[in-house]
Amino acid sequence: MSAESISEVMRDPVRPAAASLSEEKRTITVAVAGNPNSGKSTLINAIAGTRLHVGNWPGVTVEKKEALFEYEVKLIKLVDLPGTYSLSPYTQEEIITRDYLVHEMPDVIIDVMDATNLERNLYLTVQLLELDIPVIMALNMYDEAEKKGYTIDSNMMEEMLGVKIVPTIATRKAGLHDLLKAVVKLVDDPSSHHPKKLNYGEDIESAVSAVEKQLKDSYPSLAEKYPLRWLAFKFMEEDEHVQSELKISGDVLLIEDAVRHLKKAHEEDMESIMADARYAQAAGLTREVLKRPELRKTDLTEKIDRIALNRFLGIPLFLAAMWFMFKLTFDVSKPLGDWMNALTFGPFKRWAEALVGLIHAPAWMSSLVTDGVIAGVGSVLVFVPVIFAMMFFITFLEGSGYMARAAFVMDRAMHSIGLHGKSFIPMLLGFGCNVPAIYATRTLENQRDKALTALLIPLMSCGARLPVYVVFIGAFFPAYAGTVLWSLYVMGIALAIVMGLIFKRTLFKGEAPMFIMELPPYRLPSFKSLMIHTWEKGKHFLIKAGTYILAVSILVWFLLNLPWGVESKKDSYLGQVGQVVAPVLKPLGFGSWEAASSLMAGVIAKEIVVGTMGEIYVKKTGEEQSAVKPAFTADLIEIGTSFTTALRNSAENVFSTFGISSLSTKEDEKRSGLKSVLRTTFTPLSAYAFIVFVLLYMPCVVVAIAMRQEFGTWKWFGISFAYQMALAWLMAFVIYQGGTLLGIGG
Amino acid sequence: MLPLGLLASGEQAEIMGIRERKESEPCECSKNKHRDEQCRIEGMGIRIGKRIEMLTNEGRGPLLLKVDESRIAVGRGMAMKILVRRNEI
Ligand SMILES: Nc1nc2c(ncn2[C@@H]2O[C@H](COP(=O)(O)OP(=O)(O)OP(=O)(O)O)[C@@H](O)[C@H]2O)c(=O)[nH]1
Ligand SMILES: [Mg+2]
Repeated sequence: MSAESISEVMRDPVRPAAASLSEEKRTITVAVAGNPNSGKSTLINAIAGTRLHVGNWPGVTVEKKEALFEYEVKLIKLVDLPGTYSLSPYTQEEIITRDYLVHEMPDVIIDVMDATNLERNLYLTVQLLELDIPVIMALNMYDEAEKKGYTIDSNMMEEMLGVKIVPTIATRKAGLHDLLKAVVKLVDDPSSHHPKKLNYGEDIESAVSAVEKQLKDSYPSLAEKYPLRWLAFKFMEEDEHVQSELKISGDVLLIEDAVRHLKKAHEEDMESIMADARYAQAAGLTREVLKRPELRKTDLTEKIDRIALNRFLGIPLFLAAMWFMFKLTFDVSKPLGDWMNALTFGPFKRWAEALVGLIHAPAWMSSLVTDGVIAGVGSVLVFVPVIFAMMFFITFLEGSGYMARAAFVMDRAMHSIGLHGKSFIPMLLGFGCNVPAIYATRTLENQRDKALTALLIPLMSCGARLPVYVVFIGAFFPAYAGTVLWSLYVMGIALAIVMGLIFKRTLFKGEAPMFIMELPPYRLPSFKSLMIHTWEKGKHFLIKAGTYILAVSILVWFLLNLPWGVESKKDSYLGQVGQVVAPVLKPLGFGSWEAASSLMAGVIAKEIVVGTMGEIYVKKTGEEQSAVKPAFTADLIEIGTSFTTALRNSAENVFSTFGISSLSTKEDEKRSGLKSVLRTTFTPLSAYAFIVFVLLYMPCVVVAIAMRQEFGTWKWFGISFAYQMALAWLMAFVIYQGGTLLGIGG
Repeated sequence: MLPLGLLASGEQAEIMGIRERKESEPCECSKNKHRDEQCRIEGMGIRIGKRIEMLTNEGRGPLLLKVDESRIAVGRGMAMKILVRRNEI
């Protein structure tokens, strides 16, 4: 091994950088493939500094993603692919991987292995080798394999497979340089790569070379587009996908002749025979190179699972974990949110007014800035802390390994609606944002499951709805904040099951396909990766605030002030439309034009409900500000001190999540204008009915587009829109009227 | 031999065979669905001759197997179609 690499260096001295640059600026395309959850995305993030989505469950990556970077004056393009167990794909995201590898023919494949699971990962490796694309193996999760006491003879494995093997620990960025060096070396000098042709036994080999020859003779052009050996195997296995894509039937190739005696000897179909042959290779290799300790101790994961997956405790534990998560979200973010609220509607607003005054802008312009943009966007921006807190906990959940457990414990409930546990993972992701959740349905086995799951996802309360809840909860239920918040999320899940039952009887007849899913070990996500992925999730809300929430705020301001010079907002265009719709909402307890208008504006994105309310109610609250205006420096000092207080409060709240939130709500009664106005127009009961309505009433525009993209038709969005409107109305009606009858909070 | 679904938590067994789904059972995807399903479970390492350990079998709901170093959840319906021979320890 080492002798070889020395001679390498002798033969191919380092070329001058300039020469090689001008010579050709070809990018090296490196596909990163491997089993699900083996650490492919983590590896690419570590190498290229990207922020691809990682999570500790199988099926995180559902789309091909690229990362371009420069290494030793070479441009390298890493392609992150969805994980797959084999190249005979079963689900949609696996098809993406297979198609990419076969059609795009990357220069190199980095095969990311989970070193703790050698045999199963090698089964894929064996298939990758059939593609005739140079393979380099990253023996990832090396730390975990060592911890289990495994020793892997990678030198022997290198020899047996004829591929370069580099142990890596993607989470700690270990081994990555060696990996890249191996890639560069292989590309610079392809002759250094001597893959062993794995021998599947004489019968199979002679059959495959016969088919290969047939292919070459009858379709000479195919050899340029496809790896021939692989293609021959696929024809022998009667792979439907390949047959229909190439429109070549097996008869032409005399496949039957080639495989007849094989089939007879094994009494099985060719696909099973091939699978067995490949597996035999993987198992044989594993036996040679892997040594594991005799005694296996029960690890922590198994101990936790005994409780987490227990049939009595499983679901209660899941609900308790959620409750805890929402309570923490609310308590941690509350002081910071209040601080931002004070900042936005105190100093910021004053400064903006002063600025507009400086340039002698007309009065309407100053109103547009303060009553439109600041009231609209500001009302939403003050919820940045709560959204980020929520994203933080969701990221933690994703990294911990609990997602797959939640799918496990919900499997039975999901069965009742004709789905299985795996559908619950996209739904849980919906708590962050419904859009990626729609795409995550790709991991489901068939179109029926995908569509049904996608229809239920909008019932999962996303981050954008949080601002609405938080305003109302802050105004009406500060003492039970966490619990009320939790009740909304649980209601979403419960209604998803009810709707699922209805859909199963009507639109989606039939049973769920089999449930099979790997449960990863529990892992503690690193602080850094938590921060990065929280930011990645949360930043969309910031971008949204700066773009279309801003645009809608401006639009709403105009609609509130047109026809030009209206005296009262009630007579503005928006007010008039609101008045038309309001009677429909009357039985739900919020039949005011203000509520109706806000709900309509929220069709774009649900945060806008709050923004619009901010704009509508702004005048009524703006009156107290004629008082003495503090100086600029006084403002700054005040901002600084109040921020440290806020930080301290939220830190304290982490440690005393129970019943503490009332402590921090007291401070700025006066400033949180929106809340006090709401208290005059809503009752606690109608407030709860209102937030339930917001939870349910329709998917946002971006979700609609995602559904269209994923399914190629507006049909599912249409159904989703219709049933959600009806459901929202019905639920709010039941809550308000039922509550009134019972005499609650009337 | 017994179906995998009847193996109790903590027991170990060797996989002897995988029965295909009956044709009469509802299924609306491609005609090769049975084969696809079999391919999938085999791809995940559950194949004839493999030794497995039952980690969790609560009598209802999905069950959890240990196959080599991975934990694999299998729906009960599927588990009744996998035949195993219990290992005496
Ligand atoms: N201990 C350890 N954990 C790792 C290592 N590499 C990745 N992980 C963890 O493994 C989990 C899965 O990582 P991902 O990068 O999302 O895996 P993936 O292969 O992209 O998964 P899919 O996209 O689902 O196919 C994450 O929780 C990572 O933190 C490693 O070398 N050691
Ligand atoms: Mg990934």
